[in-house]
Amino acid sequence: MRLRTKIAALCAVVLATSLSACAPGSPQSDAGPSAPASVDFNSFKGQTLTYVYFTDGPDEQATKDMIAKFEAATGAKVNLQIVAFANLATSLQARLSAGNAPEVARVTDWHPYADKEVDFKQYFGSGFPSEFASGAAATAMDSTGRMLAVPSDVTINGPMINVDAFKKAGVPVPAKWTWDELVADAKKVAAANNMPYAFAIDKSGNRLSTILSQFGTVMIGPDGKNALDKDKAAKALTFFTDLVKSNVSPKDFWLGSGSKYTGANEIFLAGQVPVYLSGPWQVGAFAKSATFNWAAAPNPCQERCGGFPGGKFMIAFKDSKNPALAAAFVQWMNRSENQREVDKTAYWLPTRKDLTDSGVTYANRQSDMSSFLSQINETPSDTWTDANSPAFTASATALISETDKVVAGQQDVRTAVENISAAIDKAIKAAGS
Amino acid sequence: MSAQTPSTLAQRSGSANPQQPKWTSTGGSAPSTGAVVRATLLIAGAILVVTPVLWAAMSSFKTQAELAQTPPTLWPNHPTADNYTSGLQAFDFVHFLTNSIIVTVSATVLTLIINSMAAYALSKYNFRGRTVLFLITLSTIMIPLQVILLPVYQVIASFGMVNSLWGLIIPPAATPTGVFLLRQYMLSLPDEMIEAARIDGAGEFKIFLRIILPLSRPALAVVAIFSVIWRWNDFLWPLIVAQDESVQTLPVAIARFASQQAIPFNQILAVSVVTILPIIVIFLFLQRHIIAGLAQGSIK
Amino acid sequence: MSVMAPARARGFRGWMRGKNLAPYLFVLPNMLIFGVFTIWPAFNGFNLSFYDSSNGRTYRPVGTGNYTNILSDSQFWGVVQHTVLFTLGFVVLSTVLGTALALMLNSQRRGRGALSAAYFLPVLISPVVVGIIWKAALDRTTGLVNQVLSAIGLGSPGWLVDSSLSLISVILVGTWIHLGFYAVILISGLQAIDTSLYEAARMDGASVWQSVRLITLPLLRPTLMVVIILATIAGFQAFDFVYTLTGGGPVGATTLIIQYIYENAFSYPIQYGLASAAAVILFVVVFAVTFINYAIGRRSESI
Repeated sequence: MRLRTKIAALCAVVLATSLSACAPGSPQSDAGPSAPASVDFNSFKGQTLTYVYFTDGPDEQATKDMIAKFEAATGAKVNLQIVAFANLATSLQARLSAGNAPEVARVTDWHPYADKEVDFKQYFGSGFPSEFASGAAATAMDSTGRMLAVPSDVTINGPMINVDAFKKAGVPVPAKWTWDELVADAKKVAAANNMPYAFAIDKSGNRLSTILSQFGTVMIGPDGKNALDKDKAAKALTFFTDLVKSNVSPKDFWLGSGSKYTGANEIFLAGQVPVYLSGPWQVGAFAKSATFNWAAAPNPCQERCGGFPGGKFMIAFKDSKNPALAAAFVQWMNRSENQREVDKTAYWLPTRKDLTDSGVTYANRQSDMSSFLSQINETPSDTWTDANSPAFTASATALISETDKVVAGQQDVRTAVENISAAIDKAIKAAGS
Repeated sequence: MSAQTPSTLAQRSGSANPQQPKWTSTGGSAPSTGAVVRATLLIAGAILVVTPVLWAAMSSFKTQAELAQTPPTLWPNHPTADNYTSGLQAFDFVHFLTNSIIVTVSATVLTLIINSMAAYALSKYNFRGRTVLFLITLSTIMIPLQVILLPVYQVIASFGMVNSLWGLIIPPAATPTGVFLLRQYMLSLPDEMIEAARIDGAGEFKIFLRIILPLSRPALAVVAIFSVIWRWNDFLWPLIVAQDESVQTLPVAIARFASQQAIPFNQILAVSVVTILPIIVIFLFLQRHIIAGLAQGSIK
Repeated sequence: MSVMAPARARGFRGWMRGKNLAPYLFVLPNMLIFGVFTIWPAFNGFNLSFYDSSNGRTYRPVGTGNYTNILSDSQFWGVVQHTVLFTLGFVVLSTVLGTALALMLNSQRRGRGALSAAYFLPVLISPVVVGIIWKAALDRTTGLVNQVLSAIGLGSPGWLVDSSLSLISVILVGTWIHLGFYAVILISGLQAIDTSLYEAARMDGASVWQSVRLITLPLLRPTLMVVIILATIAGFQAFDFVYTLTGGGPVGATTLIIQYIYENAFSYPIQYGLASAAAVILFVVVFAVTFINYAIGRRSESI
């Protein structure tokens, strides 16, 4: 009995102290806008920066080569940390919440870390954004005009096709096609080549948004409001989920990967599908490891043409150990000659104004890169604001999970569209607060 | 910090000799039908258990195209070691193995030291607070690290132990299970020896070191085995704490490797096989001791 | 079993009386680490569950808001359902199979070492690798399992991609991992049973099954309780092998509570409040289930 009271007392004391203790986490220190900082590239000798990076293949070596040049030029050391894309956000969040911010990271969405990011204008002046193509620069600015990220490459989604398989089936590669034509052709080619599937697409909200856009709608409009046209979205999702349900597009792939991002590149590389909707970041890897002839093909048109944009950004963290070095590294990597050099071997599309004007000459696969590049002009402008909205990532997560449920037969398309629309509202609200 | 509890928890003070399991009917006569059925079941079960591992090992020699082939092949048609050479090129196996060994060995040593000291005090001294300490220890056997993941992470973050091997070694070291096991074992050691040593003028720590520890060897062995298995296979905790490749252990590194888009699955299989090998070799060498030790040490 | 220290320890009172610090110094290192890295965070976990954060860095107090949110979160209830089903299936299967295996292994003499080693093998493999291996073996079109099944005309079920099968697959793989470990513990329990009881039973003409039912199982009960408790805790904790096996899919059908906590705490969009509330709920449940298990075990033992 006495013991029990003792324990109770002990618990009470510990509980009381812990409850009355101050709120968890560190107090927010926001010093507000500070004076422009100057960067002296000669001052970094012997200093180290950590760069958290994810890779799609050959860009890894291109980046490493460029890093070696940076190290030689400045005497600084770069600690490159490669994480899987599926774990990128988790890894960064865990680092930030433990006060272990890396200096630099490569991300597809910089908004979640906005409170911790360096404003590049402070280091490189208010003219810095104009070094980049205006569309790309706009995607890196927040609503108050700070430049919180540097666009390092742009991407545009589009299909890649197995040319050998098309030839064998006697199906010409069209210069323009609709979704129905694409599926019909793909089915013919798959049948002629004994391939189990006709069409594959990455399990990704960004890729699925391509189909949404081609059917005429985006999730978040240029005004930052919910722009999902429910009828058009329902049409798009019905079309897509029917493909997956009937295993024209691999159903096991779609269902077998949980909630995580998964690429369908292995299915295409294994010669199991003639048409694969992905993006130019695959070009380098395919050039290296595809055992058949392949090519980039135009996006199918339905209500609209073109693909869906995406981009990769480099961000620098304010409360990392060396934010000045971080900013300097990002700027250096995206200087004209350096970006061109990486783009060439990594098969990236440039973001800099001078490079988009002059164009980049790739080591090979030039025509495929041009094909992707030409898709940019056909892509509707509201897709850019959609893809770069702070609410996009959360909305895209819902787009995938609700589509999942339709594919698994757990709900109809109408319900899915309603849920997606509600999730978009929620994401917009969360991003605004 | 794992929640596994040894069988001692509810073990009655049994008196039988653990090394003589002889209730079977297999005297010297011809095997009965029962014995044949049993042996068949056991062998069939063992094959079922082992086959997937062997199959994965075979598959790690297949090419990417063969791995995706339907219907699949049982044996690799054109066995290739490419997966191993290119897999290990992209995956710094030796480095992660070293980290795993450092973490496993030092965490186990630390666990053995602090657990046995605490167990000694809790079993052989009468002091104020002893019962409370013991009950707290006992009740936390049930708290898996997973449920206090976030607050523990914050604690090690405030100590600056994130992204260091210390963060992997120290927090899980004070296993309640180990304290409990060792205490139960030490209770059975005779007090007279301690008393005699004190009369001879031996210091408290010397008694612990020279008398108690050697006598507790079987229980220490069990705790060591538990600890090695736990720490070697730990995943969630190192996944969050070890953020740089430089401090990652094998399971974390494999998981990262496996979810990297640019890595084909046959290479992932090859790397997995390589990571299984060391622990299986160690096990086969020590098998007798490990299984006998688990059976013996947890029964005392 | 004696939980309290034996009475004879009192003989040392003389040595202990006064300012003898020895026992405190002995417990200090363990209790320090234990207090800082287990006890304190455990209490702090309760505290944390009254705050929310969308980035793991800045927190705002929300009172009991996390609990009302989580209780109305349909995903949470799905996760609870999967976790309970998984744990039930896993505990029953691994206990029953573990007991059968222990009984058979214990009476097997020839080749026992090799057989034990085979059954113990999965214990040694990192659960992450277990997930990778079984993901390959259970693949609908290229996996070993369906290769065998279709060879004998049983079709090729989608073990990991069919929502109605995936949880069963996860239970089976979980059992595969732990079976050998539980069997070893149960064997140690079997070996503690007085062999003369069996001889007496045999002389009375009892069959093997009768002696198992009337002698072995009742006397094995304490060890069985341990295995059941262990399996229950392992069931609620399952995460690592599921993460590489199914990633929690298809459509969340194998997302268990730990993955829910992990993803809410560390993946974007972060909902720290939900994660910490779920952790507290899990703790209470695990504690209660273990305690009930233990209490039932002890009571039936004393009857």
